[in-house]
Amino acid sequence: MPLDGKTAFVTGGRQGIGRGILEAFLTEGATVTTCGRGARPKDFPAAVLWCELDVSDPDAVNQLAQTMDALDILVNNAGVQVEKTVVDSSDADWDLVMGVNARGVFNTCRAFIPKMSHGGSIINIGSISGRVSDPSMALYNASKAFVHGLTRSIAVDHGPDVRCNAICPGWIETGMLEAGFDLSGDPERAKSDALSRHPVRRFGKPADIAAIAVWLASDEAGFATGQMFTVDGGMTAASPINPGLT
Amino acid sequence: MTLEGKTALVTGGRGGIGRAIVARFLKEGAVVYAADLTPQGSLQAHNDDGSHFVKLDVTQEADAVAAMERVGREAGKLDILVNAAGIEIEKTIEDTTLEEWNQSFAVNTTGTFLTSKYALPLLRSAATPESSASIINFGSYDGFIADPGLAAYCATKGAVHALTRAMACDHGPEGIRVNAVCPGYIDTPMLQSFFESDGSGGGGGTIETLQKAVRDVHPMRTYGTPEDIANLVHWLASDEARYASGQLWVLDGGLSAQVQQMRL
Repeated sequence: MPLDGKTAFVTGGRQGIGRGILEAFLTEGATVTTCGRGARPKDFPAAVLWCELDVSDPDAVNQLAQTMDALDILVNNAGVQVEKTVVDSSDADWDLVMGVNARGVFNTCRAFIPKMSHGGSIINIGSISGRVSDPSMALYNASKAFVHGLTRSIAVDHGPDVRCNAICPGWIETGMLEAGFDLSGDPERAKSDALSRHPVRRFGKPADIAAIAVWLASDEAGFATGQMFTVDGGMTAASPINPGLT
Repeated sequence: MTLEGKTALVTGGRGGIGRAIVARFLKEGAVVYAADLTPQGSLQAHNDDGSHFVKLDVTQEADAVAAMERVGREAGKLDILVNAAGIEIEKTIEDTTLEEWNQSFAVNTTGTFLTSKYALPLLRSAATPESSASIINFGSYDGFIADPGLAAYCATKGAVHALTRAMACDHGPEGIRVNAVCPGYIDTPMLQSFFESDGSGGGGGTIETLQKAVRDVHPMRTYGTPEDIANLVHWLASDEARYASGQLWVLDGGLSAQVQQMRL
């Protein structure tokens, strides 16, 4: 199995993409630790170690790092989303979004890179929104662009010991996506419109992201570093004018 | 006036975007050769604008040679070359015939190659340490992301982007800057043809509803005018842009800065 004998830390593994990644890592033979802002969820894989942690808190991240031995794989998945324009965003929104999405990635990388063995792999969850803008997601979009920039910096500064890449997911079926459709006046129409904009005619699943995370974590990806890997069903390869304009 | 004393040649110079570039260059004091298949180009009518018409089929090597011979004879140099001639086949690869594919490349890509190749001696003659010569190619935002049913067009524009960088590398040391402008949706005969054929794969709306839908998907809530493109081409042609080379300049009202717009 490609991740046999490797130790992984995945932030934000309670649900969604993070949960998909840690389950795939377990299947592929890794020893996995995850974290979240709360107690261990019920019905959680027994093999996974759970730590209560807010990644935006640098002291807490440093303390956790002290307790860990060598690490092979770090996945920075924890993220939050506030749906506002710049004008509508409050200072608290800034602290929350930048604290978790930007500073959180910085905190864990700073604390864990010294723990990583030669051949270690950092996988940051960026976003297509860090490359092209989602409307009314100003701080989120900017925080993901930060992640992309930091990814390149870590790859440059900490190679050859550590590789660092980002995955840019498109629309992935998580609770967040369904909630978005539910806000629409006509959820069915909104959903079918959104589907028509995906060349693969489906939304992504956490497993789609987990699949590339496994590859990036594995030694197969030994020459891959400093890159953004978009996995979005082809959505951003197409023009925003596409298709079904009526 | 910013282009006084400069000589320019614009291919597709009687077409939608080309004619606006010719008009702007004339306004800025340049001597302008408008090269096209016919004096009318793709527009229905053409008012005498003071440009010199050059009959040029950009796919024909002999035409390119003859056009540059004439410019050399009359002006002695060429400061600015704009490769604006282009065609668009609105089909998927399955529906595109080999002839259509080859014609797309012949005009959009080979045309850029041929015209630039034979313009080089005149461009070198124009370049001075104070004032470089400038080639401006026409890429497209479709060279970065795809519109449905425009396969050959997208491919030719991607090729122009790569050619632009290559030419900039090769001829920068000779005092020739090379850039590409990459328009989004611009109100031209080409765009109207696209609307009429419902090339977006739309659901049978009228041209008006299609036009509105296209406007609304732009952050600027409109598509561009040929003059918007001419503004950028003018800047790239001018000495203000003396450090600009090898780049792809997207001008699309913010269209490609955004992710696909879900209708929620």
